[in-house]
Amino acid sequence: MVDKIKVEDLSCYYGKKCVLESLNISVVQNEILSIIGPSNSGKTTFLRTLNRMSDLDSIYSRRGDVYLDSASVFDMDMEELRKRIGMLFAMPISFPMSIYENIVYAPKRLGLIFKKSEQDALVEQSLKDAFLWNEVKDRLKSSAMKMSGGQQQRLCIARILAINPEVILFDEPCSGLDPISTARVEESMVELKRKYTIVLVTNNVKQASRVSDRTAFFLMGKIIEIDTTDKLFVSPKKKQTEDYITGRFG
Amino acid sequence: MRKIIDTMIEKVIFLCGMLSVIFVILIFSFLFIESFAFFRGFNIIKFIAGRYWYPDSEPVSFGIFSLLVGSFLVTLGACLIAVPLSVMTALYISEVVSKNVRDILKSLVELMAAIPSVVIGFIGMIVLVPCVRKLFNIPTGLTAFSGSVMLAFMAIPTIVTISEDAIRSVPRQYKEGALALGATKWQTIRRIVLKTARPGIIAAVMLGIGRVIGETMTVMMVTGNSSRIPHSIFEPVRTMTAVIAAEIGETVSGSMHYKALFSIGLVLFLITFIINFAAELFLGKNKNK
Amino acid sequence: MMKFNPKLSQKLSYLVLFLASTLAIMPVIVIIFIIVKNGMSVISWEFLVSMPKNGMREGGILPAIIGTFVIVMCTIMLTLPTGVCAAVYLNEYARDNTLTRAIKLGIVNLAGVPSVVYGLFGFGIFVMFLKLGVSIISGVLTLSIMELPVIVTTSRNALNSVPYSFREASWALGVGRWQTIRHIVLPNALPGIMTGAVLSIARISGETAPILFTAAAFYAPHLPHSIFDQVMTLPYHLYIISTQIPNMPNNIIFGTALVLLFMILTISFVAIFVRVYFRKHEKW
Repeated sequence: MVDKIKVEDLSCYYGKKCVLESLNISVVQNEILSIIGPSNSGKTTFLRTLNRMSDLDSIYSRRGDVYLDSASVFDMDMEELRKRIGMLFAMPISFPMSIYENIVYAPKRLGLIFKKSEQDALVEQSLKDAFLWNEVKDRLKSSAMKMSGGQQQRLCIARILAINPEVILFDEPCSGLDPISTARVEESMVELKRKYTIVLVTNNVKQASRVSDRTAFFLMGKIIEIDTTDKLFVSPKKKQTEDYITGRFG
Repeated sequence: MRKIIDTMIEKVIFLCGMLSVIFVILIFSFLFIESFAFFRGFNIIKFIAGRYWYPDSEPVSFGIFSLLVGSFLVTLGACLIAVPLSVMTALYISEVVSKNVRDILKSLVELMAAIPSVVIGFIGMIVLVPCVRKLFNIPTGLTAFSGSVMLAFMAIPTIVTISEDAIRSVPRQYKEGALALGATKWQTIRRIVLKTARPGIIAAVMLGIGRVIGETMTVMMVTGNSSRIPHSIFEPVRTMTAVIAAEIGETVSGSMHYKALFSIGLVLFLITFIINFAAELFLGKNKNK
Repeated sequence: MMKFNPKLSQKLSYLVLFLASTLAIMPVIVIIFIIVKNGMSVISWEFLVSMPKNGMREGGILPAIIGTFVIVMCTIMLTLPTGVCAAVYLNEYARDNTLTRAIKLGIVNLAGVPSVVYGLFGFGIFVMFLKLGVSIISGVLTLSIMELPVIVTTSRNALNSVPYSFREASWALGVGRWQTIRHIVLPNALPGIMTGAVLSIARISGETAPILFTAAAFYAPHLPHSIFDQVMTLPYHLYIISTQIPNMPNNIIFGTALVLLFMILTISFVAIFVRVYFRKHEKW
């Protein structure tokens, strides 16, 4: 068991308000770690700190450190870091261009591929890995905005796979999707775990129990409990955790 | 390599951003410097309240009161004509007609905005001025009234466009709420839409006023350019803009006359700046609703 | 409003609104009609490509057309790239603090400052202080400074209309700021920026006050040779022949007005077309 990401004594602030307090947590290589908790518990802030999307916010500040393979992410080149840690947002955000263009967009900008044949192969592989290939292989040149929400979300996954990251962050990826699309996305997540390390933030407790290896419960900016998913759901140690997963609050 | 190019492009962009900031400061400071030089030699109270603009005679007098009155009269007249017409037009376009008609009318309004002020001045001279003279039986048709009519025409597109935006941004739920209670569409427009859109409409009117006050060519061509203080709207007047445009070419650089014109420029600048600023505040208020 | 039948009251009100709209919008059609009717007769190839003769009472308006064209092209080439870059800087790079907001507000307000004040400023700075004289370059610089805030404002609106989430999604893929702007933001903001630019061209073509004392020549016997020459321009020419020259034949004035109007309306139509076309094809 290798720690892919190690968070040491991390505190985050928006203005003067403390949203995350002295966090210590690790993400193990090739696992799915779920983070559950009510809204405003700091889940998304935590996720956005990992790939430093939070740095864009002018009132955001932090203490503590985050290590990716034992190198601090705050010393890394921002673009290099985000190439290694991909992120999927709550709403599917396809760019207003063709499906094909959506996938080769980032690799082209980052200078990863040049030849047309390489691009074709990459598009096919990424779409296959995201379980989308069969649905769209005949209309790669049509606009991505015409697809359904679930398809768009899987396209976004394919887009991330195309830059071959090491870690993928999922920020409530199914909050806007119907149950069938949700199932497809979850299916691909479990598949992806073989190659990638995954952190999943979700409001859906059942989703966490379905897909993740370990689960952490956040409340008011603190980790209340973290354990293997089986243990956390079957015999939570803390009262608050039990209340939350059984639906008594949140 | 790619990174170096990107950084260079970002430097250029930063430079352009700074450039636009520098221009803002430059315009401010240039007008201020020339004006302060003027006010050191000529009392500012006499400048604002003085009745006589005699830049060439002995002793010289740089009172702009008559010009202020001229600008004010023409603007007031234009507003009285343009505001009711524009607001009603905006209502008609946004609430009454079908989408196709709306597109056509909006395009027409936009064309109206594009007609250059010289052309409008010319039409005013040829068509309106003789009419005004005959209709009111006065010695000349070159009056503040003629200016008001032509300027109203220039203010209409501004006011219509911005009011229309404000009216259309009234949330649909507000209207549907009223309609569901059995109000007619017109009652809804009058009670709900107009009220909610009011800040935007006020902003539109102010921006219209800003445009009218600053208009130069049209007023030069149709208001007669007489710097006496007028007694009614049917007399010739002279506006601040017209004085600047007519006299700056003839002055000696650095003379009191030259600086006096810059001081008028500063007055105009401040007036329009305040009006636009206020309009911006109202527009912001509209957005928050 | 009286307390009678609300249906009837609605009908009456609509009628009033209709009449008001007609009164507000009809003049534009009337003006165009008058100018076309009176100006059509002098329009000929001859009129467009020959020099004015006999104190401008005869001949054509070639130098004015060329002058306007030169001034407008130079101005837009100077102000469009600068303005778009400034907008990109303010919208995409500048940190959102009080200073930035003050600058944005200042620029919006500068767009409403009267053109004659810019003329005054240009005269003081370029003609007098920098000793460029009354010349194309002075006029172009004056117009550029006047149009810069307008271009910045319309471009910023266009940039703002591109959803912020597109930028975030691109950054999250490791794509840098400039690459994101270049490949995601600008392509999607382009229709708005272009519409603004075309409308600016229309506005510059018709402006008179700023070039009155910075670039315009009452009469130039030959076409300009360099950017330090004075030029004749269409709007200024129209102003001159309709106010300063006695016994000017009316049809030549109308003809000049018609050429100017035709030019500007054509440009505006292009702008309206661009916008309508892209609004139909908007992708989100």
